[in-house]
Amino acid sequence: MTQRGRCHVFGDGIPLDEGVMAFKFAIGRITDPEQLIPHLFEGIDPTFAARVRPGDFVLAGRDFGCGKPHIQGFIAMAALGMGVLCTSMPYKAMRGAISKGLPVLTGCEHVNGFAQSGDDIEVNFASGQAINHTQGKQVQFPPMPAVLQDIIAHGGAQGQLAAWLKAHPAQSAPAGAPSALIDGTPVQIVRKGASA
Amino acid sequence: MTQAAPMTATQKILARACQREHVLPGEVIYPHPEWVIVHDGFVETAYKELHALGYGAIANSERVMFVTDHEVAYGSQRAVERGRNIRQIAKAWKVGQVYDAGRGGHGHIFPMEQGLIKPGMFLFAYDMHCTNFGAVGALAMAAGTEVTAVLATGSLWTRVPETVRIDLKGRLPVGSHARDVGFLLAHGFAQGRWGVEHDYRVIEFGGPGIDTLDLASRVALCNSITEMGVANVLFATPPPGIDAQNAPDFISDANAPFEGRFDFDLSSVAPQVALPGGPDRAEDLERVLGQPIDHATLGACGSGMYQDFADAARLFQGQRVADGVRFFVVPGTAQTARRMADDGLTQIFLDAGAIMLPPGCGPCAGGSMAPLGPGEVSIATAATNHAGRFGAHDGHIYLGSPLTVAASAIAGCLADPRLLIHT
Repeated sequence: MTQRGRCHVFGDGIPLDEGVMAFKFAIGRITDPEQLIPHLFEGIDPTFAARVRPGDFVLAGRDFGCGKPHIQGFIAMAALGMGVLCTSMPYKAMRGAISKGLPVLTGCEHVNGFAQSGDDIEVNFASGQAINHTQGKQVQFPPMPAVLQDIIAHGGAQGQLAAWLKAHPAQSAPAGAPSALIDGTPVQIVRKGASA
Repeated sequence: MTQAAPMTATQKILARACQREHVLPGEVIYPHPEWVIVHDGFVETAYKELHALGYGAIANSERVMFVTDHEVAYGSQRAVERGRNIRQIAKAWKVGQVYDAGRGGHGHIFPMEQGLIKPGMFLFAYDMHCTNFGAVGALAMAAGTEVTAVLATGSLWTRVPETVRIDLKGRLPVGSHARDVGFLLAHGFAQGRWGVEHDYRVIEFGGPGIDTLDLASRVALCNSITEMGVANVLFATPPPGIDAQNAPDFISDANAPFEGRFDFDLSSVAPQVALPGGPDRAEDLERVLGQPIDHATLGACGSGMYQDFADAARLFQGQRVADGVRFFVVPGTAQTARRMADDGLTQIFLDAGAIMLPPGCGPCAGGSMAPLGPGEVSIATAATNHAGRFGAHDGHIYLGSPLTVAASAIAGCLADPRLLIHT
């Protein structure tokens, strides 16, 4: 699991709401990455969306993604094939990132001293080894647990569930099986003898 | 032969759940639960997600439990439809335990009351307040929306959490309650008072003080510190009345690797409220006495056990609910409701002018039942009190103990229960 790209360096305590992504997209339940990408990190750096390229990295300090664990920013970052290196992340935010297929390395002490914005870096998530090609240096961060690498390899939680079903065909619904739900239509209470 | 490395209770329970001798905090594992509990607010969503992926069957369906506690009395046509869908889904998925409307009661209480939850057990639940089960020494992890993965595959990746141990000392003064302890602890953690982290930590209670807390008090304490983002809450020994004779080892080793540890003196606790906005906004009740109220609720997952109602009912001897106050009593479970009816507690509440609601969450499930109106003020034993929790976004919810809620319902304003307790 090696990725190479350029760095975007942020400090401590970047919140998900209004930091990574405006809250209005969370409350609007927007999950389409095309709608979300132009607004990534807009509240902190309005030029970010114009500069970011697929495969880039976010380097952040402590408590990256604090606040309510909304996943809109992670959807946009995962769609861009980005990666995150941070000192720490609230657990629920970390789960949200992994669930959306965004690779993260947490526990990276002094990560902001490793690179500056614009540096060209290469990160092996499985080993935790990171190389800064611009500055010609190499550091060792804690690797991503194998279990999480597997989820990222499936593109996140949904991909993992699809793969599980493929491996366990006995759990498949027969083709064209109807849903057990009355879907979205209000229940009509029909009383005998009542006029229409 | 080297001696096995010491473990916390959480490590022991999680190691057993993934059939290993030992796990370390920080490790990511796939533990297998003995129960998977999903409430009526999420069953349809889980089904839609898995049906869209092509799933027709779930894993270990005999261990899955559907509970109906959020909208028990079907306050809308949509709720009627949801109830029908849940029954259909349960049939399609061959769900092992189905507690329909009016059966069981609150899914964070009745499984414990009925002995389905045992010391040392590991389980997953959709809802975060499953931490209640820590009161009997069981570890229930809140999977949230990811419970669909548990339904599909039988497990979910879980990072083994660190543990912060709190040793309780002394005994609560008369009129103070475990819920008051919870508000003080939540506030202290949020302020960093003890220099320990709480994000995704298990808070374990031990020390001589825990012997003074009955099951309802332990549940209240587990419940009132849950919202601050802990991984779980555990009591180191089961309360009186819970059989742990045949339970697997669920006690932390003496030299277990606790990340942090501190003492807390129960005898120093005065009645508290949590100000509107969150359970961690603790304030001395004395500083807000006299705040008029429109609405009061006794019940919900953290204070819905028989003892909670028995304690509150004692304050109602010869007293009535104040004019202009809607006072709702929500027994946690069908069994508790029956017991209250049998032994006269229900009569005491009804004589005082209370409104009895069916077992379940009551107004705390978003105000689908007995809601709060715009600008109105409530005092409740609810799990949380952020804006909109009881319906209106500009309603104001204070949290307090069952004793404080009862005293306030009688006075028509926030009131001190100690004035009504005659020892």
